[in-house]
Amino acid sequence: MSNQRQASSASQVPHLSPAELSYLYTSLSLPKNPIRPDGRSPTQFRPLSAETTILPGTNGSARIGFADGTQAIVGVKAEVEKTVLAADTLDSRSLAQHGDALNREGEQGSAAVSGQGEWVQMSIEIPGFRDDDALPVFLSEMMRESLVGSVAGGNGDAVKEMAGGLKGRLVINKRWHWRLYIDVLLLSQPLAYPLPLLSLTTHLALLSTKLPKLKSTGEEDPFFDDDWAAAEYLYPRSNISKSLSAAPSYPVRPPVTLLVISVGDNVIFDPNREEIAVADAVLAISVTRSGDSETLKLLSIRSIDPPSRLTQPGIPNSENVNMLGATAAPGEETGGQEEVEGVWRPRRGGVKRSVIARMVKTVLGKGGVGEEVLEGLEGVEVQ
Amino acid sequence: MAITILPPVVEDSRPYEVDSDDDISMDSEEDIEMTGVSRPHKRPRLQGNSNIGAGIVTPGEVVTDDPQWMRGHGTYMNPLSTSIIATVAGTVQKTNKLLSVHPLRARYTPEIGDLVVGRIVEVQSRRWKVDVAAPLLAQLPLSAINLPGGILRRRTSADELQIRTFFSEGDLVVAEVQSVHQDGSASLHTRSLKYGKLRNGVFLAVTGTGGSGASSSSVKGGVGAGKSASGSSLAAPGGSGTGGVVRSRRQVWTVPTANGGGEVNIILGVNGYIFISKHSEGEDAASSTTENVSITRMEEMVSSSIYSSQNDDISPQTRREIARLAQCIRVLVQSGVRVDEETVMGAYNASLQVDLEIGDDEDDEDEWRQEGREYLEGAKAQQILELVKQQL
Repeated sequence: MSNQRQASSASQVPHLSPAELSYLYTSLSLPKNPIRPDGRSPTQFRPLSAETTILPGTNGSARIGFADGTQAIVGVKAEVEKTVLAADTLDSRSLAQHGDALNREGEQGSAAVSGQGEWVQMSIEIPGFRDDDALPVFLSEMMRESLVGSVAGGNGDAVKEMAGGLKGRLVINKRWHWRLYIDVLLLSQPLAYPLPLLSLTTHLALLSTKLPKLKSTGEEDPFFDDDWAAAEYLYPRSNISKSLSAAPSYPVRPPVTLLVISVGDNVIFDPNREEIAVADAVLAISVTRSGDSETLKLLSIRSIDPPSRLTQPGIPNSENVNMLGATAAPGEETGGQEEVEGVWRPRRGGVKRSVIARMVKTVLGKGGVGEEVLEGLEGVEVQ
Repeated sequence: MAITILPPVVEDSRPYEVDSDDDISMDSEEDIEMTGVSRPHKRPRLQGNSNIGAGIVTPGEVVTDDPQWMRGHGTYMNPLSTSIIATVAGTVQKTNKLLSVHPLRARYTPEIGDLVVGRIVEVQSRRWKVDVAAPLLAQLPLSAINLPGGILRRRTSADELQIRTFFSEGDLVVAEVQSVHQDGSASLHTRSLKYGKLRNGVFLAVTGTGGSGASSSSVKGGVGAGKSASGSSLAAPGGSGTGGVVRSRRQVWTVPTANGGGEVNIILGVNGYIFISKHSEGEDAASSTTENVSITRMEEMVSSSIYSSQNDDISPQTRREIARLAQCIRVLVQSGVRVDEETVMGAYNASLQVDLEIGDDEDDEDEWRQEGREYLEGAKAQQILELVKQQL
């Protein structure tokens, strides 16, 4: 347990021997074609199983299981809440900003009220960790931030309802709004850094989230259609027929956060525990579809302290006291600083700019990993 | 496709299925008045002889009320009642009038003479503590290792001071169980040229030989387990269907790999820890001449590389084949097939064969398709398994 605590800000690092670390690092940093311990290609994800709408008492829920046995369940619950009227804070600046949105959505009258980030609450529960441990707090803030920050721009059809992103969607009228509780539950011990699993599950849960259809209009107290079948998706589902007739629309989607590592010059996706342990850099990249263009939008990049810095260095044969008798007289002293082939040295220093750029490009590019992941998640059946 | 998303798999291994479960409707109108409310809170108890041994019991579940049974491993009996309660999740096993529950999954129970792979977790003044996947850490005393140079002498305080130069935290060792203590913890030794520090390869952990009497001899009288085991001869002895390393004739062997991979060593620890590494020439000489090494020659043999943590130069081809072997073992374990020399080699050859077939089919595929093909999952894994089963 103490071990787990210690590693809470980085990932759950297994104790690996210097020889293993060196083997892994060399395999993963082979130019062009890294050899991952499980034979995947650099951008290949482990197969995962997913289902949605599994909890009857929630507005939306999802479960994802990774092939390594880690599983997460996310439930989304929505609640109507009275907006505390700091009406004056709705200053002219924000009014002006939303002016055009207001004009377009004339029938809703007052849709220009901007949402607030705190209307989305996220709690993460990880077995073996307390609520206020660093890891759950950090993870939930990292995911909430990209969720709240994903503001949609543009003027497509699909975008209209999502003006102001998720925050805008939660506004009912000037006095009422939805409050969203997102509860994330990791069912298994966190084998690797659990962020991608939790993020993908949250994404799916939000996709399947429905809010009851509003019957009242304008500034009335909200009154809802009690027919659950008529409820509307929080994130409008794409309509295939529509996209065929008109220009293809790119619906707003909740963000996904992907974990990307770099080893040497290689960029590797969906790393498992051992791969994270030798990474030069670990980045959590959040992307989303913002609705105004076909490319993905980058929301945030956070670097996560790579655990390889804390590992123990290997001892080259020339310095090994147990081998002095065996090897020929240690002619050249390496001085303990130089890289010796086949000996593990903890990584020092930063990552090259070009590597970071390549990591981001692989996620964002057209036909890149980000698109494929979003497409894959879109394909999961939502009842 | 970079990502594969599968629909959830419904496991139909619920032998106690209560019939009323099926008509729960997820209708939103009446989700409070689910028909399931009237479900019985407990499963019907097993009474009499006929039912015992069918399916899986969970901890706390009453196996039987009948006083004629004696309780065995994995069960508990309240002093005030005659009912036998399961303490582990597993299958019920009957031996005459002895009732025991064979766990589905258990930690490794050390036995003298087992070859194990372990990881040093703690360094103490005269010994190491080694994780061997047993309930308790095993110990490796300083006096139970070979000194560099093969010198045979008392361990001095100088040795104690530089204990970390032999093994330090995180290092992998292959060792043998020398003795098992009263509490079930093991003492290891590495006093052979075959044993010592591991390098040049990858480590993976799978299920080992565990549970009360998982060795094949105990299945004899088992009714419940025996039945399920007879279904497939491939299941691990004990019949619970969980794959893993089993005790076998050879735990260590060398594979001549395909695709220019050279020779690769596989060490299957009985405890389920596996190490796959490049075969190095020096090792070969050492192990083949073990028998006729004189006590003076031994010094030279031992000293060569036994406590090194520097990897040799390993070619990409070898690395690829090592990764393939590791995946083959994973495929076997995931589908509950026992892991030993025969099945591993079967799976390895099958994976080569499957690759050849696929290679013929789709030669003109895109570049990315080619890249991911080394990953064995889904359909490929299925093909491999079928080939393995055919061979056995």
